[in-house]
Amino acid sequence: MSINFLEIKNTTFVASKLNKVLDFNLTIKNEGDIICLLGPSGIGKTTILRSIAGLQKISKGSIALKGKILSSDKKHLEPEKRNIALSFQDNSLFPHYSILDNINFGAKRNRNSKYNFDVKELIKVLHLEGLEKKFPHQISAGEAQRVSLARSLMSKPDLLLLDEPFSNIDQSLKVELQLNIKKILKDKKITTIMVTHDSYEAFYMADYCGIILSQTMKQYDTPYNIYHYPNSIEVVNFLNRGILVDAKVIDSQSVEHKCLGTIKGNFVKKYPKGTLVKLLVQPDDLEHDDTSKLKLEIIDRKFRGTNFIYTLKTKNNDLIPVFVHSHHIHQHEVKEKFGIKTPIFIDHLVCF
Amino acid sequence: MTKNINYWYLGSLLISLLVALPILTVFTSFFYTTSEYYTLLKDTFLIHYILNSSIILIAVLFLTFLFGVLSAYFVSFYNFPGVNFFKWALILSFAVPAYIYAYSLTAFFENFGTLFAIITWLFGEGNYNKFIPKFDGMIGAILSMSFSLFGYVYVLTRASFYHQSNNLIEVSKNLGFSAKESFFKIILPSARPAIVAGLSLVAMECLSDFGTVSFFSVSTLTTGIYNSWLSFDDLNTANQLSFFLLLIILALFFIENYSRGGAKYHQSSQGFKQIPKIDLNGKKALIVTIFCASLFFISFIFPTLQMFYWTIKFPKYFQDANLWLLNFNTLTLVFLASLVLVSLSFLINFGNRISKSKFLDNLSLFSISGYAIPGVILAVAFITFFSWFSDFLTDLFGFISIKKIFIGSIIGLILAYFIRFYSLAFNGIKSNYLKINQSIDESSYLLGYSKFRTFRKIHFPYLKNSIFLISILIAIEIIKELPITLILRPFNFETFATKAYAYASQDLLEAAALPALFLIFWAGLLIFFTSKHILSEK
Repeated sequence: MSINFLEIKNTTFVASKLNKVLDFNLTIKNEGDIICLLGPSGIGKTTILRSIAGLQKISKGSIALKGKILSSDKKHLEPEKRNIALSFQDNSLFPHYSILDNINFGAKRNRNSKYNFDVKELIKVLHLEGLEKKFPHQISAGEAQRVSLARSLMSKPDLLLLDEPFSNIDQSLKVELQLNIKKILKDKKITTIMVTHDSYEAFYMADYCGIILSQTMKQYDTPYNIYHYPNSIEVVNFLNRGILVDAKVIDSQSVEHKCLGTIKGNFVKKYPKGTLVKLLVQPDDLEHDDTSKLKLEIIDRKFRGTNFIYTLKTKNNDLIPVFVHSHHIHQHEVKEKFGIKTPIFIDHLVCF
Repeated sequence: MTKNINYWYLGSLLISLLVALPILTVFTSFFYTTSEYYTLLKDTFLIHYILNSSIILIAVLFLTFLFGVLSAYFVSFYNFPGVNFFKWALILSFAVPAYIYAYSLTAFFENFGTLFAIITWLFGEGNYNKFIPKFDGMIGAILSMSFSLFGYVYVLTRASFYHQSNNLIEVSKNLGFSAKESFFKIILPSARPAIVAGLSLVAMECLSDFGTVSFFSVSTLTTGIYNSWLSFDDLNTANQLSFFLLLIILALFFIENYSRGGAKYHQSSQGFKQIPKIDLNGKKALIVTIFCASLFFISFIFPTLQMFYWTIKFPKYFQDANLWLLNFNTLTLVFLASLVLVSLSFLINFGNRISKSKFLDNLSLFSISGYAIPGVILAVAFITFFSWFSDFLTDLFGFISIKKIFIGSIIGLILAYFIRFYSLAFNGIKSNYLKINQSIDESSYLLGYSKFRTFRKIHFPYLKNSIFLISILIAIEIIKELPITLILRPFNFETFATKAYAYASQDLLEAAALPALFLIFWAGLLIFFTSKHILSEK
């Protein structure tokens, strides 16, 4: 039997009276996996990271790294003895040390680590060139976040914890950094748990995603599955990518919607014929077709650069989002009618 | 880990108890049976004492408000000849304690005093004494205190004016206020907490004053306390008088803390732009310059020159004064006391920080009230407590008396300074400690540094400059301190303050000049080194 790299069992994390995560379970089997925890602000994601790092005690459950118990209701290993790095969301640089000294602060630890970093290389990859001699108060919030990340990496931790690592970073740089950091983490096989509220970031970075809603982990799966097979209405609402419409199961391959008609596809879960369900319709599920007979009224149009999102209103007042490519020959105005290609086929029919 | 916390608890608890000693002693004494002297006192003089204290308080508050706010206003908002010099020079008044100021005032105006000598030199012999105004008694006390205490109002008000961002002014102009309206509607109201905080400090110092009122023979609560201890050897009465004074002072202390809480808010760190100054010229510039120059001259140059003049005029006291010993005594005492204060406060702060206990936080909050307690009360309560404690131990365990260890010894003196100035040290360090985010400590732990190494590598290097500054501020206070030193010092142990006081109370003002001059010199020097800090924050 191989030992799981990290194992969190039935642990309750308490940040404040209102703010806690109950009976949390998380197992990371393989070293080098990247896990993203997604959830709204203030749900207790940061508390989970702090508890894994040993900055907070836990009152129930256990946390074990490579088979060794770090925290339980009886035991609490001090943070400095865990070899787990946490990169804080806010600026936690040592104000009286230069940026370079900050980055090197933990470098002497773990001389025998299986991996190593070249400081110069790391500074280059994280776009921190030219800041080495500056002091923390002289750099921007985004730069401070990257310095903090570099400092964590330089300490060569067994487990890296990142708390909203890109929250203060410009959109344009963010994409490049996500790429670079993912490459570093994968090359060096650094097991990472990252907390974020940005689902795109999570989907890109993670091998596995955990969705934390109303005090529990609602779903833990690969990004693809989380997106396509959300397991509850809460997860759908949190990801905020589609809407749920009332429909009726008519056979093993299709449902009937009052306005959209028959929708074909493969059910994720089996339902008996005649069941009234809520069907998930995502923006990329419907296709635009000017020649179609099925026409709906446009009530809103958002330009998103590569695409438009039209919001359409059905007769029974469902508001359905539809993606249309930006280069589509002609644009439709609000209050115009908008054609939907029929028959509608949705690959996975997600119903609740 | 748990073991460590216990030590921190114990340490904090012990220090809090120690600092709370005088208050506890005074309050328990209040319920003791009273002596005949107390009854007599209560029936005859008590009202008189309170009345005198109140008159002085009100007059001093009025004058310090006038001097402090006006000077702060001028140097903050206008350009006039010498503005940068006056901005700094006005804080030198802190170097002259009120009782030393009182000696200078008397030396200058007394019969055949310095003013008499100047007039005689100018116009020849004559009977000028009856034309020279005499600033003694109540008037003298009020003037001395006002000129030596207005600095508190000046410094706090100026800091508040200074920290007001120009953004606020720009916003108010944008909303259609004129410059004058902005001043009265935006600047002055937001400086109000600072002004109130400054005035409450003045009030506490004024009510605690012992040297000045004692020199001018004005009977107030402090002299009453001192006299019942010294002349009647009646500690109980002294403590019961203290009770009345403490009530007033504690009320002021809460006002001060409350206002200071409000004063914190308008220190925006980002987007801070200094308000552009208005250039003054012609008559206006002249008036403002004369005002600031006079204030500087009267509050600092005049007493210093007077003391200097008498020092060289009466050189025979040079030999009497035993100058080396006096310097050595004062400076060693100040050094030791500051060291003990700062290191213990640092340690307790560190303990509170790593144990993150609400209880410890509240406990320290409770123990900082020592600063509000006048030196006279503290000293008398200190003697009361240790006499009782020593007798108690002797009765119970047959110990030899430990009274001598604490009363009339350097240890006792340092302990009393500790009680008095602990809040200054503790809060000073705490406010700097708060600048270090908790996540900085945590980052250090996560990078493998233990709590002790975090202290050594992060806290100490980061805080060492501000801690050095705080110890200098404490040193300034201790050099000027009179009543505690006077009452608790070892036999024949003299500092500048006690020596000057001793001569002055024997009507040997010319001999008091030398120690007074040294006191001003050392305090002035320390203020000089910390002026940047005093002007920016305190």
